[in-house]
Amino acid sequence: MKSIVLVTCLLIFTMDMTAAAQDPILFQPEIANIFEQHCVRCHNNQTREGGLSLQSRATAMAGGESGKLFEISADTPSLLLELISGSNPAMPKDAKPLPAKKVAAIRTWIDAGADWPAEIELTDRYLADRDWWSMQPIKKANIPNLTTLEKPLQAWARTPIDHFILNKQAEFGLLPSTEATRQTLMRRLYFDLLGLPPTPEEVHAFLNDDSPTAYEKLVDRLLASPQHGERWARHWLDVVKYADTCGYDKDKLRPNAWPYRDYVIDSFNEDKPYSRFVEEQIAGDVLFPNTRDGILGLGFVAAGPWDFIGHVEVSEEKIDGKIARHIDRDEMVTNTLNTFCSLTIQCARCHNHKFDPFTQQHYYSLQAVFAAVDKAERPYDLDPETQLKQTRLTQQLAEIDSRQAELTQEIIRAGPELVALDAKIAELKPKIEPTDKPPEYGYHSYIVPSSLTEKWVQIDLGREVAVDRIILNPCHDEFNAIGSGFGFPLRFRLEGALDKEHFRVTDENILFADMTTTNFPNPRIAPVEFEGRGETTRYLRLTATHLAPRQNDYMLAISEIQILDSEGTNVALGAQVSALDSIENPVRWRKSNLVDGKWPQATHEDASAELLAVTRERTALYTRVLTPERRKRQETILAEKKATETAMAALPKAHVVYAAATDFSPQANFKPTKGKPRTIHVLHRGNINQPGPEVQAGTVPLFDNQFEFDLPPEQTEGDRRAALARWITRPDHPLTWRSIINRLWLYHFGRGIVASPNDFGRMGQKPTHPLLLDWMASQFRDHGQSLKQLHRLIVNSATYRQTSDQDSILADLPKTQNASLSVDQENHYLWRARRRRLEAEEIRDSILTVSGRMDHTMGGPGYYLFELERPEHSPHYEYYKFDPTDSRSHRRSVYRFIVRSQPDPYMTTLDCADSSQSTPQRGETLTSLQALSLLNNRFNLTMSQYFAERAAGDYDSLKQQVKGAFELALNRKITELEHQQLMTYAEKHGLENTCRLLFNLSEFVFID
Amino acid sequence: MAMLAREKETLAAISNTTRGSLQVLHHPPKATRVVQLFMGGAASHLDMFDHKPALEQHHGEPSDFGEPIELFQNGLGPWMKSPWKFAAHGESGKMLSEVVAPLGACVDDMAFIHNVTGKTGVHSQATYLQATGFQDPGFPGMGSWISYALGSLNDNLPTFVVLPDHRGYASNGPKNWASAFLPAHSQGTTIFPQRSNPIDDLQALAKFVTAESDRDGFALLKKLNGDYQIARPDDSRLESRIRSYELAAKMQLAAPTALDISEEPEHILKMYGLDKLGATYPAEINAPEEIEYFGRKCLIARRLLERDVRFVQIWSGNDNSFPRRNWDSHENIARDHGPLATGMAVGAAALIQDLKQRGLLNETLVLWTTEFGRMPSSQGGTGRDHNPFVFTNWLCGGGIQGGTTHGLSDQWGYKPLDRDNPTQVYDIHATMLHLLGIDHEKLTVRHNGIDRRLTDVHGHLIQEILT
Repeated sequence: MKSIVLVTCLLIFTMDMTAAAQDPILFQPEIANIFEQHCVRCHNNQTREGGLSLQSRATAMAGGESGKLFEISADTPSLLLELISGSNPAMPKDAKPLPAKKVAAIRTWIDAGADWPAEIELTDRYLADRDWWSMQPIKKANIPNLTTLEKPLQAWARTPIDHFILNKQAEFGLLPSTEATRQTLMRRLYFDLLGLPPTPEEVHAFLNDDSPTAYEKLVDRLLASPQHGERWARHWLDVVKYADTCGYDKDKLRPNAWPYRDYVIDSFNEDKPYSRFVEEQIAGDVLFPNTRDGILGLGFVAAGPWDFIGHVEVSEEKIDGKIARHIDRDEMVTNTLNTFCSLTIQCARCHNHKFDPFTQQHYYSLQAVFAAVDKAERPYDLDPETQLKQTRLTQQLAEIDSRQAELTQEIIRAGPELVALDAKIAELKPKIEPTDKPPEYGYHSYIVPSSLTEKWVQIDLGREVAVDRIILNPCHDEFNAIGSGFGFPLRFRLEGALDKEHFRVTDENILFADMTTTNFPNPRIAPVEFEGRGETTRYLRLTATHLAPRQNDYMLAISEIQILDSEGTNVALGAQVSALDSIENPVRWRKSNLVDGKWPQATHEDASAELLAVTRERTALYTRVLTPERRKRQETILAEKKATETAMAALPKAHVVYAAATDFSPQANFKPTKGKPRTIHVLHRGNINQPGPEVQAGTVPLFDNQFEFDLPPEQTEGDRRAALARWITRPDHPLTWRSIINRLWLYHFGRGIVASPNDFGRMGQKPTHPLLLDWMASQFRDHGQSLKQLHRLIVNSATYRQTSDQDSILADLPKTQNASLSVDQENHYLWRARRRRLEAEEIRDSILTVSGRMDHTMGGPGYYLFELERPEHSPHYEYYKFDPTDSRSHRRSVYRFIVRSQPDPYMTTLDCADSSQSTPQRGETLTSLQALSLLNNRFNLTMSQYFAERAAGDYDSLKQQVKGAFELALNRKITELEHQQLMTYAEKHGLENTCRLLFNLSEFVFID
Repeated sequence: MAMLAREKETLAAISNTTRGSLQVLHHPPKATRVVQLFMGGAASHLDMFDHKPALEQHHGEPSDFGEPIELFQNGLGPWMKSPWKFAAHGESGKMLSEVVAPLGACVDDMAFIHNVTGKTGVHSQATYLQATGFQDPGFPGMGSWISYALGSLNDNLPTFVVLPDHRGYASNGPKNWASAFLPAHSQGTTIFPQRSNPIDDLQALAKFVTAESDRDGFALLKKLNGDYQIARPDDSRLESRIRSYELAAKMQLAAPTALDISEEPEHILKMYGLDKLGATYPAEINAPEEIEYFGRKCLIARRLLERDVRFVQIWSGNDNSFPRRNWDSHENIARDHGPLATGMAVGAAALIQDLKQRGLLNETLVLWTTEFGRMPSSQGGTGRDHNPFVFTNWLCGGGIQGGTTHGLSDQWGYKPLDRDNPTQVYDIHATMLHLLGIDHEKLTVRHNGIDRRLTDVHGHLIQEILT
C-alpha cells in the first residue's frame, strides 16, 4: 500500500515539472476537487472557520477574517498561496501540506484570474465518504477452515472463535499457548463472570470434578448466578457515567438513581435481548408502555452529570440557563451515541466532525431528539390497590374544594368589592420590590412537608399595652426564586392575651384578625396592617394555619411585627419573642429578628402606601362578611380537607426513578416541558448566542443521506426518541452490534478487537480481527441477542483458556520457534492470556468475602461510605469520618452510593471509574498511594481484624489459622516455605497483621 | 497507534512513577515547580488589585454599562467603590488595596493581568474552566497535566499536592484536580494538615499495627511479592508494584516531616502570621483566623516545594453556602473579602518572600487566580454580583517579568479595555507550560477520538510578562 502512494507522488511530481505550468487550469474539476478535498471541511457555510466559506463563488471571493484570498499585488502573491505554501504552511490546518502539484495548480488558476463559474457550488467531499470499516455493512463471515494448519493446532481449537484466532495468528507466524491450570481457570472465571473469588468449597468441588465437561458446567452455573448481573452491570455503569449525585458545583444527592442501577443488574441476570435493552433505555416509555422496565431504563438518559445551579438557580431565559440546558442535551446525545454506536458525535458540536462524515446539522438533529426531556424523578410501579385509593381520595378532595369554592363565592357575593380589591392588590405588588434588604431577614419556622401544619410565633411586650395597630412586614428571600412575600402564611390569625396561658383556650383571647377561611393574597413586601381597636394585651401571637410553600415543603416566615400604641410608638421593638419552633440560623434567621426594626423596604413608596390602604380596606371588608355561621362552615371544610390530605399522604408512595422526564414538580427555575420540545438550532461554533437554522429530530446518516427522521408534523417528543431507538437497533446497523460485541470481548480479554471501544471512527483503532467481529456480531444479532450466550461462546473458547505464561506456547509442533514475543509483544493476537490486576470493586468485594463479612443482599438504595454533612445546601461527603465496621456497608461495591464530584478516595486510588466521563476501559495503575491504601485504609484494617476473627474461629492453632487464611485469600494450597515465613511473622505480630499482609500480596490483587 | 502509545505510556508510568511522559522537554525551562493559589467563589479584582478611581468619583450614582447586560442574580445597583483605600507600592508603584497591602513588598516581582475574561458566570463551570481549561466535568486539572508531562522531582512525596480550604471543598471538589483520562498517578493528592492522617491512609490507625509490625511486614511483602514476580519474569508491573511499596514506606517517613512546621524558627512563623498558633476565634469570619489558616497552607507549600514537590495548589474558600466562607460576596464585600483578602495577602506575601530568600522563587512559578471577577456596581446593598467579563490574575517567579501590568480592564473594571484582545485561561496555561519547557500545542493525549490538550484549541503566549 505504502509503495503505491509513493509511486503516485513521484508521478505527480514529475508531471508538475514538465507539463502543468503551461496548461490553463479550469476551476472544474481541478481546483474544485482540491477545495472539496482539503478546505470545505472547515470553510463551509455553517462552520466558517476564520470567517471563510469556500462553498460558493460569492463567499469565496468575499474572503475571511484575514482578508481576500485571491487578490494579487505586484510584490506579494495572493493570501491563499501564502497560506498553503512554504516549508510549514498554515493551511490545511492540522493536516499534511498540500502536494506541490496542487499548490502549483492553484497558483496557475489564480494567475489566470481565479475564474470560478457562479453556478458551481462545492460540497464537503468528506461527508459522503463512508469508506471506513465500521460504516460498512456487517459481513457474512465464514468460519475459517483449519485444514492447512498442523494437527495439534487443529486439535487445540474448541470453538469457531478459535478458528478465527488461529487463522490470524498463522498470518503473523504466531502460535497459541497451552491451557492454563484448573486452579488458574477457576479463579479467572469467578472474577470475570462474578467479580468474586470462589469459596473453599467451590474450589474443592471444581478441582475434584472429573467430568469432561466440568469447566462448561461451571461456566453455566456462574452465568446463572445473580452475582453475574452485579458484576457486568458495573461495566455498563462505567460506560454510561452512572452516579448517585449530580456532580458539578453542589454535587447534590440523587436519592432515586439506584432503580436504574438495579434495572441494569436485573436485565443482565434475566438475559434480556439486547435490542430490547437498548430501546428501553432511550424510549422505553413509548415503545413498552405500562412496563416497569420501560420507565426504569430511561435512567440511562439521566445517568450523567447535571448542573443544579445552571438549571435551578438560573432561568432558561438567561444565557447561562440556556448554556446549562445545551450542555445537558449534549451530555445525553454523547452518552447515547458513544455507548450504543461507539461514535464520537460530540466532536460535531462546534464544527463539522473533523474526521468522520458528520456535520453540525446531524449533531443538532440528535439534540432535537432529546429537546423535551430533562433529568428528574419520575414515578413507576404503583400497585393497583393504591392507585384505586388515590383516585377515591382525589375525588373526595375535589368535592371538598368545590364546597370551598361555593363558600368563597358566597363571601364574594356578600362583599363584591373583594374582586376589584384583589385585582388592585395583584397589580400593585410587582411595584414594590426591595432595593435594599438588611441581612437580618426575619423569623423562620422549621420546614414541614404539609401546608396544613400550625405554626406560631409570639411576642411578649412585658407589660399590658392598649394596641392601636399591628403591622406584619413580610420577608424577601431569593431562595427558590420566591423573593418578596417569602414564607408569608396563606391563612392565619392574630390573637392577643393578657396571660400567655390563655392561648391554650381560644375563647378567652382577643381576636385581632382571623384570616383562616380563605387564602390571604400574598402581600409581597407590602406591610399588612390590622386594627388594634385599642384593646389591651401583653402577648401577641401570630398563628399560621396554612403555611406558605417553599420547595416541595412549607414554613412560616415574617420579617418584622410592629405593634403600635396610640402614640404610634412601636412597643414590640426589642421585645421577647418565642415560637413553636425556629431555625435560628443567624444572621439571616432568628426569633429576635422579628422585632429588630429591620425589614425589606419597597422601591415605590406610593405604590407601597396604596397597597397598604387597599389591603387594609380588603381586610376590613372581609372581616365584616365573615359571619359566625360562615366561619363554622369554613372550619368544617378545613377539617375535612386536612383529614383527606393526611390520608393521601399516608398512601404508599409511587416509586420514583431519576430518569428522562417531561413532567415533574418544578424546582424554582427548573420546570418541565410537559412534552413540548425546545426549538433546536445549529449553533455556530457551538455558541448559544449564534443560532443558525432550526433542525428537526434526526441522527447521523449511515444508510443514505437522509438524517432527519420521517415523522409526521403532529409527532410527540416520544416519537422522536422512539425513532432514534429503532434506528439504533436496526438489524442492518453497522455499529450497534459490533459495538456491544467489542465491549464484551474487551472485558474478557483486556483489550477490544477494536482497541478504542467508544470510537469506531477514523480517529479510533481498526479491528485486529474484523471477520471474527462480524461473525460474532451477526450470530449475536440473529440468534436471540443473548449476552449470556455470547459470554459462554467466549469463555468456552481455547483462546480464553490459555495460560498467561509467556513460555507455554503449544508444544508438540514441528516448528518450536516462538516468534510471539518479538512479533506481538502487546499480545494483540491473543497468543496467551492477559494477566490483569483486579478492579477496585473486585478488590473490595474480595476483601469482604474472605473476611467473612460479605452480605449478598441485592438491590435498593446505595449505602454510604462517608458521613454526610450539610446535605441541604452543598453536601459534604466526609469519607475520613466513616466507620468501616458499619455492617450496612458490607455489601457488594456495585451498591455503594457513588458521589460524582467528591468520589471515594479509596476506590479512586484503585482506578475505579470516574463518573464524570464515560469509562469504557479502566486504568490499571500501581502507585505508592495505592500501596498506602491497601496497607492502611481503615476498611482494610477493620477487615483484617474480621478476617483474623474468622480464621481464629475456624481453626485452633495459629499454624492452621495462617494456612486457612492464606488459602481463603488465594484459593490455593500454601507452600511450606510460605507457611514458615508467614508463621514467623504471625507469631511475632499476630494474626490480624498477617491477614492485613495477605490483602497486600500481588497474588491477591492479580489474576493470571 | 494512539492506543498503543497510550498503553506504552501507562506501562512507562507504572514501571516508574517518577518519570514524566515527555522524554525531552520542548525547550529549556525557566521554572520547574508551580504554586497555584485559587480563590473559590470569585474574588473581586476591584477591591484588591485593579484600582478604579472612576468608581470613587461616581460612587452611588446609577450604574450605566452602555449596553444591556445579564447577570447571575437580578438587580443592578449603583456604581460602588471599594470599601478600602488604595496606595502605591514598590518601585513599580502598583496600586494595591489596603487589605492586600502585605503583597506590596512583592509587587516588583509580580506581573498583573487585569483583562482576563471567562465564559460563564456559573461557579461550577467557571471553576472547571480555570482549573482544567474546560467548562464541563471530565478533564484533568492543570497540575495533572504538568505532573503527567514532567513527572516527579522526588521519590518520597506526591508530585502534585492540593491543600484545600480547611472548611471543605470549593465548587466541584476533587474533580478540579482529578487526572480524568490521564494516568491516575497524575491526580492531585489532597493534604489536610489538621487531620490525624493528613494524607489519606498515610499511617495505619489501628492498635494492632506497630512500627515493628510495619517494618517486618514491608520486608515479608517484598519477599513474597518478589517470589510471585520471579515466577512471572516478563511482567514489569509486578516489579513496579514492589517498588510502589518501597515508595510508600519512604513517603510515610518523609510526609510527616514535611508537614511539621514546629521546627520553623520564630521569625519565619511570624512572617506567615503563625505566631499565635492555638488561638481561639469568634464564630464570625475574621482576619486573624484567615491569616492562620491560609498562612499555614503557604508555609507547608514552601516546605513541600523545598522537598521537590512539583505542583502545589492552595485553595481559599469553601462552598457557596451561608454564612459566607468564601469569596462569593453578593451581600457584603467588606465583611467577607476583608478577612479572606487579609489572610490571603499575608500568606502569599510570606510565601513569595520566603521562596525568594531561599533562592527558590526563580525556579517556582506562582499563579493567583479565581473563578471570575465581581461587578463594579452593587446589588442594591454592599455586595457585588458575578462578573465573568473581566477579572485579574497575577503571576510571579521563574521567567516572569516582575513589576509589570499587562492587559487593562475598562475604567469601571466591567470588561477588558480592548474587548477584542482579552486574556483567556488558555493564554495563562500556555504561558505557564511554556515556562516549564512545554509547548502547549504538543502536549496531547488521545481520548475518545480527540487529541486533548490543556489549552483545547486555543492559547497564546503572553510575551509581555516574560523576562
